[in-house]
Amino acid sequence: MEKTESSVLVIGGGVAGIQASLDLADKGVIVHLVEKTPSIGGRMAQLDKTFPTNDCSICILAPKMADCFGHPNINVWTMSEVVGLEGSRGNFKAKVLKKARYVDENKCTGCGECLEKCPTKELPNTWEQKLTTRRAIYMQFMQAVPRVAVIDPENCRFLLEGKCGVCKKVCKREAIDYEQKDVEMEFNVAAVVVATGFDVWDPTPSTEYGYGKYPNVFTAMEYERIINAAGPTHGHIQRRSDGNEPATMAYIQCVGSRNLKTGHPYCCSVCCMHSTKESMLAREHIEGIKSTIFYKDMRACSKGFNEYVERNKRDYGVEYINSDATVQGQKENGNPIVSFDIAGKSQQREFDMVVLATTLVPAKGNVELAKTLGIELDEFQFFKALDHTLEPISSSRPGVYLAGYCAGPMDIPESVAMGSAAAAKAMEALVQRKVFA
Amino acid sequence: MTKIEKIIEDAGAFDCVECGKCTSLCPVAKINPNFAPRLIVVKAQAGMESEVKADKDIWSCVTCEICNDMCPYEVDFSGFIQRMRGEAVDMGNSPVCSEAGAVHTMQRLTGKGQKQNRLLWLTDDLKVKDNGDVFFFTGCAYQLGVLFKDKAEELKRVPASVVKILNAAGIEPVVSNNEVCCGHDLIWSGNEAVFEELMRKNVETIKATGAKTVVFSCAEGYRTFSIDYQDFLGDLDFEVKHISEYLLDLIKEGKLEFKDSNAKVTYHDSCRLGRHMGVYEQPREILKAMKVELVEMPSIKDKAICCGVNAFASCSEVSRKMQLDRLLEAKGTGTSAMLTFCPKCLIHYNCLLTMEKKPLELDKVEINVRDFSNFIAENLKGGK
Amino acid sequence: MTEWDPKIVAFCCNWCSYAGADLAGVSRMQYPPNARVIRIMCTGRLEPEFILRALELGADGVLVAGCHIGCCHYISGNERAEVKIAMTAELLDVLGMDKRRLRLEWISASEGRIFADTMKDFVNQLKELGPNPVKGGAK
Repeated sequence: MEKTESSVLVIGGGVAGIQASLDLADKGVIVHLVEKTPSIGGRMAQLDKTFPTNDCSICILAPKMADCFGHPNINVWTMSEVVGLEGSRGNFKAKVLKKARYVDENKCTGCGECLEKCPTKELPNTWEQKLTTRRAIYMQFMQAVPRVAVIDPENCRFLLEGKCGVCKKVCKREAIDYEQKDVEMEFNVAAVVVATGFDVWDPTPSTEYGYGKYPNVFTAMEYERIINAAGPTHGHIQRRSDGNEPATMAYIQCVGSRNLKTGHPYCCSVCCMHSTKESMLAREHIEGIKSTIFYKDMRACSKGFNEYVERNKRDYGVEYINSDATVQGQKENGNPIVSFDIAGKSQQREFDMVVLATTLVPAKGNVELAKTLGIELDEFQFFKALDHTLEPISSSRPGVYLAGYCAGPMDIPESVAMGSAAAAKAMEALVQRKVFA
Repeated sequence: MTKIEKIIEDAGAFDCVECGKCTSLCPVAKINPNFAPRLIVVKAQAGMESEVKADKDIWSCVTCEICNDMCPYEVDFSGFIQRMRGEAVDMGNSPVCSEAGAVHTMQRLTGKGQKQNRLLWLTDDLKVKDNGDVFFFTGCAYQLGVLFKDKAEELKRVPASVVKILNAAGIEPVVSNNEVCCGHDLIWSGNEAVFEELMRKNVETIKATGAKTVVFSCAEGYRTFSIDYQDFLGDLDFEVKHISEYLLDLIKEGKLEFKDSNAKVTYHDSCRLGRHMGVYEQPREILKAMKVELVEMPSIKDKAICCGVNAFASCSEVSRKMQLDRLLEAKGTGTSAMLTFCPKCLIHYNCLLTMEKKPLELDKVEINVRDFSNFIAENLKGGK
Repeated sequence: MTEWDPKIVAFCCNWCSYAGADLAGVSRMQYPPNARVIRIMCTGRLEPEFILRALELGADGVLVAGCHIGCCHYISGNERAEVKIAMTAELLDVLGMDKRRLRLEWISASEGRIFADTMKDFVNQLKELGPNPVKGGAK
């Protein structure tokens, strides 16, 4: 296999970015995979199971993450962000800022000693949707790749005041380096693949759902972490108010999506399926649990999806009610009261627990990144394709390609497919450079 | 396109996806399960116009606009109800009005052309002008205070309070004896013809004074001028402001000073000021500036519970239940007064509180429902 | 052009004043025929709306006649009427319709003479006040 001189920059270490990197690397291209957080894996690593196969999400992702990290042609740069992109297709100069982790990636073995000794506790763990806490030195999640600790500079006593230093003392490999600085790097690349994914919308402003007010109302992502065996409750479904197991659960669809008022009029495309999956899984965790899904329309379009939904109704006894719903009160025992409409009659029913299928929104950093990369955003702040119908992979700037949810709502298989497509398009830039060189 | 088809299209009824969110939030539907905003829109979509026009439930809607506010597809349900009521009345589907319709008759009578005595509240210490930049639209507050003497006598003092506050800030507003009712109750009870007459009279009266800004203490008058008048006439030649917005600007300029107060109050967001016009923060800012302690009820701002009666055309047990729920929330705050800018809310809550046979839960409710403008005037430095 | 004659709507309670009006008639007492009498069971039945609507529809004056205080067939109906009429009168003033167009009299079943005299007096007063301004009459 002839190694080419030129390389490709992949921005975003989620499943789309990982797939694009592996595809390119297997063809002999050098890939610079830039990931903002301390570990690759993205949203798929946060999920419990994937629909419609109910595969364990991290189990099918981790081999790819390991392959990616260990691949001789892929350079994984975590804690990094792209801060500049100059040049043109075939000949870009990308500026990447790698933020200090304060832990030497070459020395840390991920043994975890420092994690237990850090005195600064009770920091909200955003990866676990704030359902549990972490310390100032932490591992993003247990299967993190690279399996290296990271120090939070805004809460570390040593970095702020010069006190403590316990982690350095207990580290047997001398991997802690408080002096570490942010590093600016430059890469010459032929093409760029953007795969920055999505954020989960916070439903607190929509007070009709009572999120934040009623403790037993959860977002779907919180719920994924709860049912995950490696999550904060070790896979036990528990209510926030009293830790009890629910006997009845409600899932409310289209929370924030398909809604002109919240500014997200698009359909997030996955929540009908993930609520189906979650209610199915609930049955496997708690025998006899009765779940109800409140939906506007049931969007089960791809291969195996409709059968999945029917199976849920038939074999798992999940009730599907065609009505939007809101949560406007709770009983004294903490049961949220769900209000809905059947055939024009307003109804109220109490449930032990409510899961909101909150919409997924373009990542916060998209606006900045679009400016940095010189590509256009659409009216919802997803990255805009060159042509919606016939050039969905190319962005508005030649040489910059799009993959995954950052380009528009899609599920995991679609993101993987688009990752491969973006890799193929990126190859064009490389090959053409070679032809015209 | 027929008139009905235009009403349905203007309301955006064809955007409705029948999700039912409106019905899940509707305060009337919760108490009366036979009423559902979704069904009315669906029937209209399906072309069942005559059924919609003949439906008595078109009068059950309290037009609180919580459905409008929450609809993911921005269907204008209250606008649809307003215009359908005009059609309904034409074919004999009339509401059962409170007080046998006396309020509407009084409102119509203001506009018959006779010389009224609207300024009986104007005492010598209050300074007003006949022409000028700022017009204070007094509305029917005084008249309602007379009509509902047993429930809302303090409404008689509202115009004087507002003028007193404006004078204290160095402003002499224009007031006119030629004002007529803004027409709010008439257009919401299906009487478009009289509404138009009243509207044109008011706009003429204001134009004649040369005013550039018209200030309202009444939430309903404010909404009617801002939305309904502009729907009919297009842009008006003057700016329309609510007293809470106007006073807040004056307070920020340091033109108003208040007495020290240890009052603890709660604030009721009336539908017309809140959901209809989006004015939520200004009254709260005024209370902050007055250093009055505000204890919020559980349902506030865009989720505030409506007082249950709309244009005196929808009073029923449903209204009573809504009023009861709200007063119990107010009681729960432990404050002594619930302030509101809407004279109708004041009347309806006091109607429940002064009933001879009150609901048992109201027995220990010690809350006073008070007009906000009067409250501000009472707390002015140097004031009574 | 015919000279204007005031139109009066008279609400008379069944037990006292309607009987009083009857007595005036049976005794052939002369009084101007301007009133349209509407019998109600008690003045307490009166709604302010009746008065306002009568005036809106073109009546020049409204007379309300009932039992003397303390003699109401339903004990206190006339007391309630007194309160409502006072309020309506104040409202009429504010509306610019002159509260003298509304008159409240207590007339018992034997006071046919008083009924006739009241009518004469009311018609004269209304002639002074002029036509109901709401009809377009100048005021």
